[in-house]
Amino acid sequence: MERADGLLRATSTHYILSLDNMVMGDMTWRPVLEIFTTKGNEAIQQLERNTAGALHTLLTDVDNPNSLKVIITRARENARGAQDHITKEVWEEINALYHLINHSTISERQVEQDVIQMMQLFTQHSLLYTGVADVTMPRGLGWSFMNLGKLIERCFEIIVVVDKHYQRINYNLHEEKVIIQWKELLFSLSGYELHLKTYRGPDYNHNVLHQVLFNDDFPHSVLYSLARIEKYLKDIIAENQSPGNTDLIRCFGRLYSRIQYTDPKDINSGNLQSFLEGIRTEVLQFSNALGHNFFSYQ
Amino acid sequence: MSLQNLLNEYTCPPGIWDEMCDAGKIRSHYGKVVAGFETLDVPTLQQKDVLAAELFMNQGITFTVYSDNKGIERIFPFDIIPRIITGKEWDVVEKGIQQRLKALNLFLKDIYSEQQILKDEVVPATLIASCPHYLREVHGIRVPHDIYVHISGIDLIRGDDGKFYILEDNLRTPSGVSYMLENREVTKRIFPDMFAANNVRFISNYPLILYQILLQLASTQISNPTVVLLTPGIYNSAYYEHTYLARQMGISLVEGRDLVIDDHKVYMKTTNGLQQVHVIYRRIDDEYLDPLMFNPKSVLGVPGLMSAYRKGNVAIVNAIGNGVADDKAVYAYVPAMIRYYLNEEPILQNVPTYELSEPDCKEHVFKNIRQMVVKRTNQSGGYGMVMGHSISDEDWEKAKLEIEKDPRSFIAQPIVKLSTVPCFIDGRLTPRHVDFRPYALCGPDGVVIVPGGLTRVALKEGSLVVNSSQGGGSKDTWVVDL
Repeated sequence: MERADGLLRATSTHYILSLDNMVMGDMTWRPVLEIFTTKGNEAIQQLERNTAGALHTLLTDVDNPNSLKVIITRARENARGAQDHITKEVWEEINALYHLINHSTISERQVEQDVIQMMQLFTQHSLLYTGVADVTMPRGLGWSFMNLGKLIERCFEIIVVVDKHYQRINYNLHEEKVIIQWKELLFSLSGYELHLKTYRGPDYNHNVLHQVLFNDDFPHSVLYSLARIEKYLKDIIAENQSPGNTDLIRCFGRLYSRIQYTDPKDINSGNLQSFLEGIRTEVLQFSNALGHNFFSYQ
Repeated sequence: MSLQNLLNEYTCPPGIWDEMCDAGKIRSHYGKVVAGFETLDVPTLQQKDVLAAELFMNQGITFTVYSDNKGIERIFPFDIIPRIITGKEWDVVEKGIQQRLKALNLFLKDIYSEQQILKDEVVPATLIASCPHYLREVHGIRVPHDIYVHISGIDLIRGDDGKFYILEDNLRTPSGVSYMLENREVTKRIFPDMFAANNVRFISNYPLILYQILLQLASTQISNPTVVLLTPGIYNSAYYEHTYLARQMGISLVEGRDLVIDDHKVYMKTTNGLQQVHVIYRRIDDEYLDPLMFNPKSVLGVPGLMSAYRKGNVAIVNAIGNGVADDKAVYAYVPAMIRYYLNEEPILQNVPTYELSEPDCKEHVFKNIRQMVVKRTNQSGGYGMVMGHSISDEDWEKAKLEIEKDPRSFIAQPIVKLSTVPCFIDGRLTPRHVDFRPYALCGPDGVVIVPGGLTRVALKEGSLVVNSSQGGGSKDTWVVDL
């Protein structure tokens, strides 16, 4: 569900900003397709200037394992399998979303002119799901695992999206860029207003990077996500005395301290790419270790 | 019914410039939009109309109408068909407004210091002396970078010759810019493909430009100045705009009671104690800004604010006392100001204006009242206006008595037939009169005008009054490069 939310934000932000083609320049769907699909260069080349085709791939294409339709279908399958751990209300919300995306008029509506409304409708349902879960779920193991999964996904998504945006400027933090050009990243992570309120000065490349990696007030920053992961991890470990817990805590501690104790000033054009790559790898390692510790029965 | 039929039915009033049609043919810059409409049908357009209204309602861009002791939230009427201006036409408008603002800034600097323009008798001293918005209290106060008019909304109309004319200058706290920006966002939502196909110039950076200008007004010794937006409060009709701009700039929205003066400095009350404020974008009229200096009954302002302003410890945007330059009687002298200060001919012409304090002018206006509109010099929003072609004899007699009592407070202008645009009303495309208010920002680096503005529409058939307080609406304005 977290990925569905991220996909919707990224897609609708890109779509709306691309309408102002005079300022945003030659905005193609390539970066969004590279993030949210597994398509190769040639397939992306065919789609990047075809808005209807790109939207179909991202939202309703069942051959794309990361399309909204596939993600929601999988979320429903997961929810169905874990019905005894989630509340009736959470199940109903996921189920409603599933039926909404499988509604026969969806692809028709998508290519028609109300694509923004359609994406907004799904975003509203996604938010509703978050609210329903927050209000109805008991704070037990189910809740902790649910949030752990959500925050790992969020962390991973932030790193991938940030990497894609900095790749556009060849990770050159000194390249002149105006705030308008960072709008897509900030809007897709719901961070534009916070940025305006928090950061002053024209050093947008560094400021945006600080916000998405190190700002602990920003719910879509890596540091914030890791801080929350720590809380849920502690809750889970307190109730599960598994022999692999020590290794898992060590794995997470390495990742968390890497962000927590990095001085943002030490990140420069030369090491940004490797820094992001390193974080991404460690998030994956932690995710695998978590799965191995709690869900592997070999 | 298809939209093609609606377009065929659309008839332009004779003798009036229609923005879309010329002698029954579609103007070239409307070509892509018309082609886009031809693919739609009336029910689809009606759905888009409903959706636009919902979007405005959901965003809280509403005002409250009280009836039977119940408050009903209403949106400001929005017409979904965009008004289109070519890049070439815009370039003239832009240059004309830049020139005008340059002259008006020089005028304000002069009038509150040397008053050379009065000594040279270019503008009559009596006119300034009798202007209620000329504030002696700010005489001699130096403002940062000598800029008085940072934000302006200059009202333009297009005459039957297709040329833009200046109708009035709004140099105090012009409102409506949030509608310009929100209209654009709503239009993008309802006509995304049409919008993308038209190469529409970008306006969404207005709040960012404004914020940069506000920062530049703080003393250069302050590395991280605090900028606030001062609002009269939640009951003000433009409160939505105040919240919108504060949010878009990331600055604090404050009321007078949130600010305090100490040692000629302005402070904002925060949970961390007092925080000095360096720049105030105020949306409160001069009269209410400081009860110690102006209206003593004002509870909206900040006691002692003028002392901080006079000391240069805070920049106030727009400068205090600008009303003298947008007085409707002073307006008539702006072309002379342009010649006097800039030694240039005005790029945009004024509408001919008669000062009723001049006996000859008054007589001429009284004789030809059916072709005239009489306006109060200190009113805006369409209040106090006499439309000569529609006023009854009885009402005109009453109005004449008012004018005779205080002729300085009135001017008259010939009724200009404002241009028309197609509007989607009751399932039909019908022509309605419009004006145009672009928003200009003036900072140390010059005058910037985002390419667009608020097109205000007189929604009543045949009406020439576009003000929202008088039943007017608005529509998005696209500046397109063909």
